[in-house]
Amino acid sequence: MKIFWAVVGKELLSFIRSWQLVFVVLYAFSFEVYIAGSGIELKPRNIAVGYIDASGGGLSQKFLSYFHAPEFLEPILFESQEKLSQAVFDKEIMVGLVFDDTFEQNFRKNHATTLHVLLDATAASQAFTALSYLQNIAINFTARTFPVELVTHKLFNENADNHTFMALTELLSIVTLLSVILTAVVFVKEKEEGTWDIMLLMPVNAKIIILAKSFSQVIIVMVGIVISVGFVIFGVFDTPINGSFFAFLLLSFLYAFTGAGIGLFIAAIAKDVMQVAQLSIVIMLPLIFLSGAWTPIYAMHPWLQTFSLISPLRYYIEGTESIFFRGTPFLELYPYFLGVTLVGSVVYAIGFRKIGRLF
Amino acid sequence: MKLGVVKAYVLKELTEIIRSRLIIMVYLMPTMVLVLFGYGIRMEVTGARTLIIDNDQSHYSQLLVSKFEHSKYFDVTIEKRGEAKALDEIHKAKNDILIIIPESFEKRLLHGQTTQIGVFLDAAFPTRGSTMESYVKGVVLDAAGQMLERLAGNAPTISINQRTLFNQAMRDEDAIVPGLIGLVMLIAPAILAALLIVKEKERGTIFNFYASPVSKSEFIAAKLIPVFLLHSINIFILFLWATYLFEVPFRGSFLLYWLTSELYLVISLSIGMLISIITRTQIVAVVLTVIVTIIPGFLYSGILMPISSMVGVSRYEAHIFPVMYYNHILYDVFLVGEGLASSKTVTYIFILALYAFSMLTLGSFLLKKELR
Amino acid sequence: MELNVENVRVYHKKSLGIAGASLSANEGEIIGFIGADGAGKSSLIHAIAGVIPFEGDVTFNGLTYHSPKEAEPLKPSIGLMPQGIGLVLYDLLTVDEHLRFFANIHNIKQDVTFKAYKLRLLKMAGLDAFQDRQAGKLSGGMMQKLSLICTLLHRPKLLLLDEPTTGVDPLSRIELWEILDEIRKSEGTISIISTAYMQEAAKMDKILLFDEQEIIAQGTSSELLDSVRAMSYVEGIKTQEPCIRTLHATYCLSPLEAEHTEPSLEALFFVNALQKGKKMPLIEITNKEKTVELPDVVMEAKGLTKVFGSFTANENVDMTLHKGEILGLLGANGAGKTTFIKMLLGLYPIDGGELTLLGKSIQTQEDRQALKASIGYVSQHFALYNDMSVEENLLYFASMRGIAMDVAKSRISRYALELGFDEYLNAMPHELPLGINQRFSLASALLHEPVILFLDEPTSGVDAIARAKFWELLKALKERWEISILITTHYMSEAEFCDRVVLLRQGKKIADHTIAEFYAEHPKAQSFEEIFLEYYR
Repeated sequence: MKIFWAVVGKELLSFIRSWQLVFVVLYAFSFEVYIAGSGIELKPRNIAVGYIDASGGGLSQKFLSYFHAPEFLEPILFESQEKLSQAVFDKEIMVGLVFDDTFEQNFRKNHATTLHVLLDATAASQAFTALSYLQNIAINFTARTFPVELVTHKLFNENADNHTFMALTELLSIVTLLSVILTAVVFVKEKEEGTWDIMLLMPVNAKIIILAKSFSQVIIVMVGIVISVGFVIFGVFDTPINGSFFAFLLLSFLYAFTGAGIGLFIAAIAKDVMQVAQLSIVIMLPLIFLSGAWTPIYAMHPWLQTFSLISPLRYYIEGTESIFFRGTPFLELYPYFLGVTLVGSVVYAIGFRKIGRLF
Repeated sequence: MKLGVVKAYVLKELTEIIRSRLIIMVYLMPTMVLVLFGYGIRMEVTGARTLIIDNDQSHYSQLLVSKFEHSKYFDVTIEKRGEAKALDEIHKAKNDILIIIPESFEKRLLHGQTTQIGVFLDAAFPTRGSTMESYVKGVVLDAAGQMLERLAGNAPTISINQRTLFNQAMRDEDAIVPGLIGLVMLIAPAILAALLIVKEKERGTIFNFYASPVSKSEFIAAKLIPVFLLHSINIFILFLWATYLFEVPFRGSFLLYWLTSELYLVISLSIGMLISIITRTQIVAVVLTVIVTIIPGFLYSGILMPISSMVGVSRYEAHIFPVMYYNHILYDVFLVGEGLASSKTVTYIFILALYAFSMLTLGSFLLKKELR
Repeated sequence: MELNVENVRVYHKKSLGIAGASLSANEGEIIGFIGADGAGKSSLIHAIAGVIPFEGDVTFNGLTYHSPKEAEPLKPSIGLMPQGIGLVLYDLLTVDEHLRFFANIHNIKQDVTFKAYKLRLLKMAGLDAFQDRQAGKLSGGMMQKLSLICTLLHRPKLLLLDEPTTGVDPLSRIELWEILDEIRKSEGTISIISTAYMQEAAKMDKILLFDEQEIIAQGTSSELLDSVRAMSYVEGIKTQEPCIRTLHATYCLSPLEAEHTEPSLEALFFVNALQKGKKMPLIEITNKEKTVELPDVVMEAKGLTKVFGSFTANENVDMTLHKGEILGLLGANGAGKTTFIKMLLGLYPIDGGELTLLGKSIQTQEDRQALKASIGYVSQHFALYNDMSVEENLLYFASMRGIAMDVAKSRISRYALELGFDEYLNAMPHELPLGINQRFSLASALLHEPVILFLDEPTSGVDAIARAKFWELLKALKERWEISILITTHYMSEAEFCDRVVLLRQGKKIADHTIAEFYAEHPKAQSFEEIFLEYYR
């Protein structure tokens, strides 16, 4: 046990001594999470609108007054339909409105009126949302109110808070990335610097060394998680946690060991830090994309859905969301704990055996 | 420039890339990113698992229900077990949306009284939550149009006659895959190029350059040509994935696609090369490349949001990164087909060329043939 | 064609590399740079090669340059081999691919004459049989030789070699000198060579002695020896005067009533140290804290064999190591010395034969585990953790070996004093000269008071003073602790300090005698180097 802590202490000391690495890790856990949380806005805002007006101008101007921030930018007048189309082609505007000469007449005569719209649908979901904004405006505009009101309750994340969500997703990806790379590098650095042989010659059980080395990196990742959640999630984004913080830490701890297991596997194969970087990218990209971090699992290709069962990140993400947003009680989190533990112990056991052969 | 010298270096680089199995990364990574992202990212939500509790069971309520049932966006189950049970299902993430149509929905509607439809949706994934909300709204508004016609008779209505351009089917693949090509062709060559010079610095083999008559421009050419050649093949591979696997239409000129891509390749190579020149260790070079390429590449690719919707700083930043210009041309050749007829395309090609030229000049300016 | 260096000064960031260096060399001359680690030899070589910014003038072949840029037109006629094993080689390229690459970047026409020259170089380096092997799989000495012939390939007019022979065996060193001699005769090449082998320096036309960023003496070998002859005495003199004692001689500035000895160039270092008022750390090894009864034969190998694919690294090697014996393991590069030691340590599995350590036959991993506490090892690269200070390194090794904290601390401070690195305890290993790193690597190998010590080229690249101290230390350890030492080296003069020497050639043992027996068998030999060469010719 004394030896276990000696190894852990040595690895932590080495980590702190390399200021560049400390800097990169701190950066990842703070700014990177913050940038992801604050920078990416998926809901369409500031939609650029252009129009041409052959209708005379009274009614159309009234209609245009419905286009306001934050969803829309101030509509821009174009001289001709060609210029309007060109602007859509050149992506200067996303929506082009054509008020033709019949627009005002028909409306005044209580006829069905048609508004022609050119829509850049390159980003399909944004286009769809923009279209529903337009429909909404059209219905509101016709003074006839439709007496049905939608009362929407967004459960779990009441404000549809994109910031916390993106920040959390980024945090979990960073936990994956760092627990894998840091663990792998700890071993590979010994290979590169020639200290591997010295390590082998110590009268110490190899299992203790492997366990202690991976544990030390798990500690670093856990400290990073606490800093990140404390300062960025709770601090900057001011998000409450609906479930148990302890449950989240426990789940993270189990998950970090899973990552360390992948790191062990990579360390067993890689000869230098460069190969670690490459192998990590190849192994982690699918892991992250299969986890549902970017897209709900049920919307995936069926065979990808099956594959996603083996991504430990899937359970970690779902568990974390449940804890933060759904506030699921501790005991009902068992599927996520089970998933992380099960996949995690298999992965760690494989990595452990693989690197154990080198001792 | 002595061609023999460049050739010797190029051969050496290629041998090293192949023997170190880096070659697998060169071809595996772009394809993997394209396929995974292409299949993985879904902006639209199809088949959202929806529970509907119809407490009215009237003509109008059933009209509404059938609207939901006929939409590809919803996968509807009529819930009969009651509200509590249904909410519980959402809590356990087994369903996404619960819609409750109140009693006397039809009666109140016919009397012109306001009725409320309750919608509960899982917004743990906020984007998905918002998207689902707007879909529900869309369906209700659509139904409203029909109902209004029956109810109101002679009132003026405005119907939207939209012409969706470029991506008529509004497929996510068409929207995402070309943008991904722009992202991948930025990251992969940059990472590879970022390693080539710093690796020699870290190992010490850079002395062979310092102490030999090899000139700076020969050295840069020798470092960039191998990566350029290897990644040029990716231009074709990615094109085939996009058009055959993802069935993205291709409406423009292939020649334009190819040449612009080669130009863009030179830019991403020179970004990597610049990083390689200013850093000292490989691991720092990799991390730095990832930071300067992946995040801006994603943000300004147009996949997530149209550049036209950006304001303030991000709008300027978008214009600084080359990905915006290349992606404009990519979307043009895949979905639009305007090609060189559009003056904007020509301008953008010109900007890209200027970009490549200045990056290369800066690189050869910063590269010093001496120890520091 | 001549080289003139005028008042050159080099800075590394803010620290001084070399100051006020001037020298001149005529066509065909070989100039030797000698001096302690970090004395400024490499800085001056880099400046002359035009790969580092400097102040001052360098004139070669009528062209004066003050910066790397101005030196550019001369690059085709300059050949530089920087310091560091395999530094300029690409691990994944084969020997042949290296030669082609270096020929191409120097724009050499690869005609018949070139091919003949290339083959000669390959033969000289003993690499002709390994043309298809990748550089990363060559032994350290072979890498050095490959770097060297790559530098010679374009027949440079100005050749700058920074410690080209570190880790290279005597045979190859002789071949290198032959080729240098030929090049300077045919091309009039000026060579500047830094070296840690004083016998090598003695052959050069002019020698420059570096110390603390300055050139402190220059002249021919005999001129320099004359300057220190008066201060060199035979070994083992007792006197109150400040002096330095080595295994060979005693050096003292003030005249002594004692017999003089013929100095070697190493004397320059000791005399200079005396002049600067530096004291040598006194080597004093205290007794072990506890003694154990040992068998007379601590290690016995019978028919040990190691095979890598189709290559047999060790074939049927028998060897015994007795209690309290220093056994030298010598051989050309790639003869299988390191492989053999790694087999003894269990770092490579044994492919054939039997091994007995401390009377116990080694069969399983468990047998080894029990013995790890009795063995100390210093590897070729002094492998230590670079991001921990010297003291932290030692404490870590101690706790890995289960030594209690207070015991560990007292041992570390004792060794630090005895081995003379106490002022560096808080420094980081990579900031220290090789000689200091070597001493504290040894301390880390001694912390658990082992009874057998395996040392793999512990003195390669270490300066003369540090080497002399190191050997005194080994001798003291042997006498005080009755420790058994197996050591490999390429310094033939060091072989004479061993009790017994085993010679390996191509993985096979070819001789195993005491030093006296070797001399008896070769009565004409003046030094062990000559005996060594007899076996390999």
